[in-house]
Amino acid sequence: MNKILKLTIVLFLVCAVVAGVLGVVNELTYETIEEQNRIKTERAYAAVLPSDGYEEVTFDEEAWPTIDAISKCTNGAGYVVMTTFSGSQGKITLAVGVDNDYKCTGISVISHSETSGLGANAASTSEVGVNWRAQFVGQDDTIALTKNGGNIDALSGATITSRSVTEATATAIKAVESLG
Amino acid sequence: MNIKKQFKEGLITNNPVLVQLIGMCATMAITTTLFNGVGMGLSVLIILTCCNVVVSAIRKIIPNEIRLAIFVVIIAGFVTIVDLLLQAYIPALSDALGVFIPLIVVNCIIIGRAEAFCQKNTVGASFFDGIFQGLGYTLVLIVMCVFRELVGSGRFGGGLIDITNGFRITMDGTGAGIQIFPSDFGATIMTLPFGGFITLGLLIAIMQYALKKSAKKKEAQEMAEKEGEE
Repeated sequence: MNKILKLTIVLFLVCAVVAGVLGVVNELTYETIEEQNRIKTERAYAAVLPSDGYEEVTFDEEAWPTIDAISKCTNGAGYVVMTTFSGSQGKITLAVGVDNDYKCTGISVISHSETSGLGANAASTSEVGVNWRAQFVGQDDTIALTKNGGNIDALSGATITSRSVTEATATAIKAVESLG
Repeated sequence: MNIKKQFKEGLITNNPVLVQLIGMCATMAITTTLFNGVGMGLSVLIILTCCNVVVSAIRKIIPNEIRLAIFVVIIAGFVTIVDLLLQAYIPALSDALGVFIPLIVVNCIIIGRAEAFCQKNTVGASFFDGIFQGLGYTLVLIVMCVFRELVGSGRFGGGLIDITNGFRITMDGTGAGIQIFPSDFGATIMTLPFGGFITLGLLIAIMQYALKKSAKKKEAQEMAEKEGEE
């Protein structure tokens, strides 16, 4: 009995010390991490629809399960929608700019785990990626791949990624329209 | 246990990845650009050294029955600290390595060294063991990154080196690297997990070949010496 008590106390003490140290480190880094996340989001927002500031608006979260957040541009240029959905390999997080005429002003992939060299081109800064994303500018909520009757060419070898990004963009535009 | 011997063991004769064959999951997953490789290698080096020192410092006071639980708590603590610091100060690396930083908790190199080495050795020896084993790990990562990046996308030093305005080392992962041949001619398969398996397999084979050869040479030398004595 004594033995078990001793083991418990030692393990508890080790855990307590580690937890204490982690608490201090968290306290020291918390603000910097928040700041870094804010900069990252703002940079993504500015890439799809430049504005001097962004203000989050409320929307019907149950009707739009894939939409994470909708932010209104303070300069009145339109909205930026953050959306997370399934790609071909995993979740893709995308920022979509939507202007006041409900047209897409640009998309930017924030995070993804698509196949390198194929689906990952949707996010890459290479010529292929930039040209592919440029097709989205000016599209409305009827946006679709060419093979589905729209006018977005799929990335070669990455139809599933292309389709999911295209559909997510359409959903994002519809979500903004629903705001009225 | 001397430092020179430990250095040789960590980097070559008892290299964690190529000889002990531990910590291979992250090795195959993240070695796609030099930036990732160096970042992951140094993260493991720092965590390994810290854990080694702490584990060997308390090796005499922790009860044998719960040593593994205590090791895991200590490792998890250091990993979380490094994870938070990376998120705060090198977010690009934190993004690139993603879940593989938290997963260092279950990386067998660290728990393996705690069990196999630090339990039985002094703080000083454990400190150097951490550094050398970490260097050995980093070295393998760098070799794999350079090979996969070059064959897969014709590039060298992605994320870490920028040559658009003269040679510059970029710590924020924005450097485009040096394009040696157009990426269209690269074997994309090398940047996929498959390429990781192939590269690691080749490296292990080369390592085993070299170790066997040097062992044979040593044996022959000893034999010759014996014969000479007789």
